[in-house]
Amino acid sequence: MAISRNNLLAAGLIAPLFVVVVASFIVPLLVTLYTAIGNPEVRQTLPLTTGALRDWNGEGLPPEAAFAAVIAELAQAQEGQAIGQLSRRLNFEQTGLRTLLLKTARAKETLAAPYRESLVALDTRWGDTELWQLLKRNTGTLTPLFLLRSLDLTLTPAGSVAQAPKEDAVFLPLFARTFVISFWVTVLCVVIGYPVAYTLSTLSQRAANIGMALVLVPFWTSILVRTTAWFILLQREGPVNALLRGLSIVDEPVTMIFTRFAVYVAMVHVLLPFVVLPLYSVMKGLDPVYLRAAASLGAPPWQRFLRVYLPMTMPGVAAGGLMVFMLSVGFYITPALVGGPNDQMVSYFIAFFTNQTINWGMAAALACLLLLMTGILVGVARLVVPGFRLGSVSP
Amino acid sequence: MNPQGRGLALFLRTFTAIVLVFLMAPIVVVFPLSFSSGELLTLPTPGYSLRWYDDFFSSSKWLLATRNSFVVGIATAILATTLGTLAALGIFLGRFRGKAFIVALMSTPMVVPVVVTAIAMYFAFSFVGLNNTLTGLVVAHTVLSVPYVLITVLATLQTFDRNLLKAAATLGAPPHVAFRRVLLPLIAPGVATGALFAFATSFDELVVAIFVAGPQQFTLPRQMYAGLREFLSPTIASAAVLLIVCSLALLAANEYFRARGKARTAAADPAEPN
Amino acid sequence: MHDPIVTFEQVTKSYDGRTRVVEALDLRLARGEFLTMLGPSGSGKTTTLMMLAGFEDPTSGTITLEGKKLNHVPAHRRGIGMVFQNYALFPHMTVAENLVFPLQMHGVPKAEIEPKVKRALEMVRLPHLRDRKPTQLSGGQQQRVAVARALVYGPKLVLMDEPLGALDKQLREELQLEIKHLHEELGVTIVYVTHDQSEALTMSDRIAVFHHGRVQQLATPAELYERPANAFVASFIGENNRFNGTLAARDGTACRVRLSGGEEVAAAIEADLAVGAPVVLSVRPERVAIGAHVSADNCFAAELLEVIYLGDHCKLRLRVAGSEAFIAKVPAGDPATIAPRGTPLTVAWPAQACRAIPPLD
Ligand SMILES: Nc1ncnc2c1ncn2[C@@H]1O[C@H](COP(=O)(O)OP(=O)(O)O)[C@@H](O)[C@H]1O
Ligand SMILES: [Mg+2]
Repeated sequence: MAISRNNLLAAGLIAPLFVVVVASFIVPLLVTLYTAIGNPEVRQTLPLTTGALRDWNGEGLPPEAAFAAVIAELAQAQEGQAIGQLSRRLNFEQTGLRTLLLKTARAKETLAAPYRESLVALDTRWGDTELWQLLKRNTGTLTPLFLLRSLDLTLTPAGSVAQAPKEDAVFLPLFARTFVISFWVTVLCVVIGYPVAYTLSTLSQRAANIGMALVLVPFWTSILVRTTAWFILLQREGPVNALLRGLSIVDEPVTMIFTRFAVYVAMVHVLLPFVVLPLYSVMKGLDPVYLRAAASLGAPPWQRFLRVYLPMTMPGVAAGGLMVFMLSVGFYITPALVGGPNDQMVSYFIAFFTNQTINWGMAAALACLLLLMTGILVGVARLVVPGFRLGSVSP
Repeated sequence: MNPQGRGLALFLRTFTAIVLVFLMAPIVVVFPLSFSSGELLTLPTPGYSLRWYDDFFSSSKWLLATRNSFVVGIATAILATTLGTLAALGIFLGRFRGKAFIVALMSTPMVVPVVVTAIAMYFAFSFVGLNNTLTGLVVAHTVLSVPYVLITVLATLQTFDRNLLKAAATLGAPPHVAFRRVLLPLIAPGVATGALFAFATSFDELVVAIFVAGPQQFTLPRQMYAGLREFLSPTIASAAVLLIVCSLALLAANEYFRARGKARTAAADPAEPN
Repeated sequence: MHDPIVTFEQVTKSYDGRTRVVEALDLRLARGEFLTMLGPSGSGKTTTLMMLAGFEDPTSGTITLEGKKLNHVPAHRRGIGMVFQNYALFPHMTVAENLVFPLQMHGVPKAEIEPKVKRALEMVRLPHLRDRKPTQLSGGQQQRVAVARALVYGPKLVLMDEPLGALDKQLREELQLEIKHLHEELGVTIVYVTHDQSEALTMSDRIAVFHHGRVQQLATPAELYERPANAFVASFIGENNRFNGTLAARDGTACRVRLSGGEEVAAAIEADLAVGAPVVLSVRPERVAIGAHVSADNCFAAELLEVIYLGDHCKLRLRVAGSEAFIAKVPAGDPATIAPRGTPLTVAWPAQACRAIPPLD
């Protein structure tokens, strides 16, 4: 069947946005996914070595050609930037390789045929089968290392999966912390937001409008501004401590900034409107006739609440709660500003690996896992909340 | 109401009042701090002055950031509103399956954690040289804010009575005239709301800016963030106040357009008004 | 009909490619006539109207307007006016602006616009509301504006899809007459859609009864009522009592029908049915005589089950020939209406008041 004129027009109208979203969002996400599993360094910087290792069966030591190639290519890499990327990449695989590579690259002049002997003489690690196995493994186009590390797993030189060493096993606890913080923030937002939305929905329209304005103003105020406000308020010499001391509640200033407490306060403050707004509209739209019916059927107030009101407002709770949880899991700025080192969440480490240690593979792997978790959450949301729509909380 | 019920109501109202104070207090407190005459962000302030606003408006960094914020915000609003409105119209006018899928696909930037979006763009932009450019920031902000435009305009279109387009046709209006004289005026408030939200999203956005903007592209939030990490001067409070005032203006404009939109769509209701 | 304004020839419409919402429709519309499409909801009336107006394309078949094929003419070039159920007044324009719109679209010179608007508003008796927005009008006023807007530029054909459906009964009856009078004054052709049979009977020159996407009967109101073509039409238009039976004997338009209980009834017949065919007998409640001593072609013993008081008349529910839902209509003062429940009575009706018609499929 030919496409109708109507649909042709529709396609033409949708296409520009579609192209923009695909080109500047979907493609970048795919790039990120590739960054998490891509393994270009060894192949690009050591192409001859890669070739020489291809036929090596992984037992004993590789042929002389590999030794010759690695010496030549490392020296060549030192001319440009490549040595930095390669040594950083392999050092992440096994600590200490960075110094080995740099040392070898610099030592080119002193190395002569037979290369195997002279390399092993330079550093005995070059006579180590496991080092060569590691190199050979990284001549592949893809590597599971970053994703495994994000799950506190690692690869043994022989190539099997094992628990990461204790000092590196930080990511599962990090994900756990992210979930715990997000969970409590969600609980706090729902427990605080429900009675507030209920009360606002029972007020006269005038009073409710004023109340809602007091929810909307923070909602529209930028997250950074609100976090900044808490950052200022919670300082040791800040207004909250001044108030507490002024009221003689405490004698010494209390440390609040850079604590988990500050993270909770600021995050609840930022996210509370996301629960109150949908709940308010659900509660406002609830026909009081159901409660009257329950009352006429003999249900006392408490039962009316538990058996009629609560179930009927549950979709609002679920929508708001899921929204808060989803946003919390990705929080970055607020914990980064008001939290301490032990209060940072996954996002912080994604930024850390991207900007500080320039380990894009780890950053991308953590991002992929975070994305996967969010995807699962959206899936759950669709199952649990009938008619759950992404935009349900947009103002 | 029995005494028990009245007690509960009183409790709920008190609780709500406390929560509303909690929500507003940090925003309100920034105001006196920004007018402080002292060097420290403490209350009570030693006195009042405009020195920190003076500082703000005489700092080339802050002025550049202000300019960048408006340039990027306005460009984002125009782009996102155009793209989002056209797509919403396409979805509204087309007769095909999978509309929900298209909407979901185009709204994913809303649910993907911003850090993930930010590094994804940072990685991808590094290949095409868009990092450290205002263009890159505009593209990123457009992607982040377009879902809001799409969803608001779609919601407005949902209240739009398709019969009005048919009526226009039976009265002799060709499609482009019906679009211009009937559809557009009626969805204008929704489009305006979407544009405002796109602007607000860009104006408040920080995470993407941290990754893709260099010092020459710093926006107000980015400059504030940089300031917070260096030295906590009351200039930051005055910047915060200016941002709050902008947000309030946007909120007011949004409420205005919402009220106007309501007044219009109410007309589509065939129920007797009296 | 030599010069029909609209013809449908074998028009079929399917939205999904399987179920036919309108099936093999043939219809010829006379110039200046008031034709009503009547049928239950979902019977394909709106779809038919939408094809004529140009908002849906027929899956097969042709529609012509004044002899020209309409198949690829877009809606805005057909010159067909339309009144919608929810009025479809442009909410951002005033009443006058709504009326100006079609005049501008049809290139009416500026100087002629104002007088035309004025006349149209006077026609629907609303000149004082010209600067109001549609939201500020009552439902009835909005509907009058919608009618004025559809007529103001002088279309030869106007379609109305349940235009009074959202109004209460009294207002509806008032507007029915107004629309009918406008039709008579202006001489435009009107195709009117409704599911309300009394509305159809009140207004129409002819009525097309729709069911399952097919026209069951196309006839004047009186003919439809008196001589329904099948059981569906009989039951849809007015009340009737129905009995299932078989055709026992036939002589031209007179026949005898044997009911399932063995009773024989004399009836009129027009359908092309042979002896032995299953038929439905339809008897209008107001044609039934009742009492202790009535007589006619058909006489049956009855038992009074219920009396329903309706002001100007009463309905009696009776047990007749095995049926417990037999209804008879009598004047309010009739002695039977004060008889106690269970009273034995006799019902009678002439053969001419009782039609044997084909059962519905
Ligand atoms: N746009 C459409 N797409 C699919 N089915 C439709 C559409 N419009 C109407 N229908 C179906 O066609 C049938 C006839 O509808 P309609 O013409 O509106 O009936 P009526 O006006 O007599 O109530 C109904 O079963 C309805 O569900
Ligand atoms: Mg209909």
